[in-house]
Amino acid sequence: MSKAFVSSFRSSLLCAAVALAFLVLIGRLVQLHVTGRSELLAYVEKSRKMVQMVEARRGNIVDRQGNILATTHTTMNLGVDPQSVRETDFPKLPALAELIGQPLKDVQTAFERKSRTAVEGRAVRLIRWATLAKGLSEDAYEAVMALGIQGVYGNRNFARTYPGGRLAAHVLGYVNAEETPVSGIERSFDYYLRGQDGWRETERDGRRREVARFREREVAPTNGLNVELSIDQMVQHIVEREIDRLVAEYHPDSVSILVSEPSSGHLLAMANYPTFDLNEYFDISKHPLANQRNRALTDILEPGSTFKIVPAAATLNEGIAQSGDIFQTGLAKVEYKGRALSLPKDHGNGYDQLTLHGIVMKSSNRGAAQLGMLLGEDRLRSYASAFGFGEKTGIDLSGEVPGILHPVKNWDGLTITRMPMGHAVSATPMQIHNAMAVVANGGVLMKPQLVRRVFDPSGEEIVNFMPKARRRVVSSEVARELSQMLVDVVSPEGTARRAQIEHFQIAGKTGTTQKIVDGRYSHKQHVASFSGFFPAGKPELVITVIVDHPKFDGLGYGGAISGPAFRNIARACINHLGIRPYREDARSLAMRLSYDEFSGRFAD
Amino acid sequence: MSVYSRIFNKQYQSLMHPADRMRSDCLNPFCVLLLCLIGVLFIYSAQYTNGGSDWKKQLLWVTMGFGLYAIVASVNYKIYLRFAHYLYAGGILGLLLATKISPMSVEMMGARRWVDIGITIVQPAEAAKVGTLIMAASILARSELGSFADSIVVLIKITAVFLLPMLLIFLQPDLGSSLVFPPMIFALLFISRLSEKFFLTAFALFAMAVAVLAVDIRGYSQHITQQRETAQSDASTIGQYKSILPIHNYQRDRILTFVAPDVVDPEGTGASWNAKQAKISAATGGATGKGLLKGTQAQLGYLPQAVAHNDFIFSVVAEETGFLGSAFVVGLFCLMVANGIRIAGLSKDRFGMQLAVGVSVLFLVHFFINIGMTIGITPITGLPLPFLSYGGSFVLSCFFLQGLVQSVYRYRKDYQ
Repeated sequence: MSKAFVSSFRSSLLCAAVALAFLVLIGRLVQLHVTGRSELLAYVEKSRKMVQMVEARRGNIVDRQGNILATTHTTMNLGVDPQSVRETDFPKLPALAELIGQPLKDVQTAFERKSRTAVEGRAVRLIRWATLAKGLSEDAYEAVMALGIQGVYGNRNFARTYPGGRLAAHVLGYVNAEETPVSGIERSFDYYLRGQDGWRETERDGRRREVARFREREVAPTNGLNVELSIDQMVQHIVEREIDRLVAEYHPDSVSILVSEPSSGHLLAMANYPTFDLNEYFDISKHPLANQRNRALTDILEPGSTFKIVPAAATLNEGIAQSGDIFQTGLAKVEYKGRALSLPKDHGNGYDQLTLHGIVMKSSNRGAAQLGMLLGEDRLRSYASAFGFGEKTGIDLSGEVPGILHPVKNWDGLTITRMPMGHAVSATPMQIHNAMAVVANGGVLMKPQLVRRVFDPSGEEIVNFMPKARRRVVSSEVARELSQMLVDVVSPEGTARRAQIEHFQIAGKTGTTQKIVDGRYSHKQHVASFSGFFPAGKPELVITVIVDHPKFDGLGYGGAISGPAFRNIARACINHLGIRPYREDARSLAMRLSYDEFSGRFAD
Repeated sequence: MSVYSRIFNKQYQSLMHPADRMRSDCLNPFCVLLLCLIGVLFIYSAQYTNGGSDWKKQLLWVTMGFGLYAIVASVNYKIYLRFAHYLYAGGILGLLLATKISPMSVEMMGARRWVDIGITIVQPAEAAKVGTLIMAASILARSELGSFADSIVVLIKITAVFLLPMLLIFLQPDLGSSLVFPPMIFALLFISRLSEKFFLTAFALFAMAVAVLAVDIRGYSQHITQQRETAQSDASTIGQYKSILPIHNYQRDRILTFVAPDVVDPEGTGASWNAKQAKISAATGGATGKGLLKGTQAQLGYLPQAVAHNDFIFSVVAEETGFLGSAFVVGLFCLMVANGIRIAGLSKDRFGMQLAVGVSVLFLVHFFINIGMTIGITPITGLPLPFLSYGGSFVLSCFFLQGLVQSVYRYRKDYQ
């Protein structure tokens, strides 16, 4: 450099500055590559990797006829990414607004507002999603997509709906907003209904959007399986209509009605009052949580006279007495194990003498007490237990209680006389129903079931829930003999005259239980029950009606309130299911009651 | 006899020097050509995935730039001694046109840096930079500098000359562009035989300025932390940080991002995003890079698309060509700057030397700060990378400046 203008020291300093700049930059590049690389690569990996869940569709719940009781709808939530909209698409906005049914102004705002001030940060955040419409149908979404507006896209959502509303609410249960099954079949069969969510592993770009070409692994979702209930929507409807009538007429505290096939244990209907609407389960003011309880399984009551089938069947099965044996039902005290036990009263219908048959037919408390004393504590309790009292029925729903059947050592002196009439024992409506089903099913206790099969979306059957017999309780002869007695209950001489149906032999047992209020049996509050089956010779349906505290003046609640309800349901079921009278029954009926037109139809 | 009279008492031997026409410097135009080609290619790459065809416009600017280069290189640089005032005045006028009172000014991204001249918009700061350099060089060329006391008048002149455009650019606001003025002027003074006392004083002043800035930034950092803890961290409340220094919070953020990224942006998604992603780009390229159009940082938009093709073009180059490619670019720049200083040494008059040194230092500042910010050793400022970054005015001004250097080389023997 020319010495005339600048010292060599200063010029070399300038050159040194250039060399230093070069060395610093190169040095930093080397450092970044050698030491910083692995750490930064890990950071990149972390921020770029993305695992997206692809939600599986939940299976349907259908009734035995294939009617849909619970299903999943797909809806689309439509939104726009204001960062990627194009000005050229703006003329299409009126069409979009019309398709989604939103005011044009709102749509324009969503397109134009590009940032907001974050509440917690200081930075102005870019808006990446502005909701345009919620719950759009699949068709409407396709129409929107056909407009081809850049930046507009939707997220698929699944919404669980129950077309029947409150129909079979306690059986079906519901799935809450967090997709968690809460109760009913939805909960206990969640394993099948749920399906398997899919997922895809992919990368995202600087705007956190998925980059499809870097998609690495994709696992498609497996949609849930469908569950076919043994419930018949029509029968369920019949039952719920009957509950509505009972409620309107008697204003009871609660009602439970069960309908099932005795031979398979499959329930055709299960309904309770109070109930709730499955689509509005969240509205607590309208549907208090207590209404969601499946009272047929969770609430216990003393079964009362319907329990008398247990000592009667036991006595016959043990060969202690025959149906024609006469009992002194006029006695107020009987000596038992060296002590004189006073017998319970028979309200208004006291008889001095009754056969075993008569005890059942007239529902004699003193007679039943004597049957109990003939059996003794151990055998009475073991038969009660065999009929299913004191243990869960094992039905497919959660929340079931076992009821109360005390071990013999806890019995007091009077229990042996009171339990045969259904006191000192507590049972769920389901247990009472199941005990009656034992008689209808020739003495075999079945596991009650609500689900017949599970099938995949193509209709292929995956699991079949065959009827499950749990044990033989009494011999088939005893069962037949007992059902003959029960047929007479529903005769002009029995306690349940009003349960009669023309051309059919109905077997059944009434029950009128005094409710225990403040530790004493109340004379004002009763539970009216009726449990029965038909046709008696070849039972096809068991129906149990339990009405808690009906507002009613008079005696014989079971026969007066529950009996007619039974009859109404049975009649409607006969029409709907096409149940025909059993030939043998019809013949004997025709002979006894001489229905002319009938003898003509069934004449050989 | 002063340099001034030596030149102006005589006519130039010629404006064009036929004998020297073939004796041009080949190294710098070669570097410029390579850098421009790399620039166009990687502007294309930066916008490949996400749309945009600025590479075509850049190609046009570069073509125009070479035309300008040819003209400036063929004209004897000494002519600017006479027209320095006009060039400088033109630059200042351009800056005034970009202010708020002018109807031609254009505001973009919160800054008023552009002037609409009908066919396109230009950045007058570039012209002002060139004008100021020539003006300062001409003043220094006409004056004898020696001891501090002797040259006080010249110093005041020089200070006035560079402070006016620097202030105007700073107020636009364009911190980066205004920051290139001090080193440039400093370098011009440095080679002007000014006493060493002056530089020591200047260095002391610089250190003091840095200290004041450091105190300001420290206070700001505590302010942010405090605001965040008291959970009143609304955008408006933090914006109220008051200090003696008239700088914006976003400018403080940039410095803070550099010294303490965790304070200003704990999640790494706000103010420090660009710095982090640029660093990732440079570090993950490997030895030979991920390949043209295959850099994930650029193509996936991790490098923000708004800056990938201009201020952060080096990140794209580094990612897609790796260590070798980025070292090659750094090498080209250093070669160009070093050659410029060599040419300054060859110059037989003070004006030519001043010009060549000024231009070279300007390029040095530009490429060092720009590349430095993409690899995390300088704070992020809006300084573009010469010949590589997209931008019309900037490309033209770079060509003009390199043309000056060429002119200094070609007319180095044009003296009495």
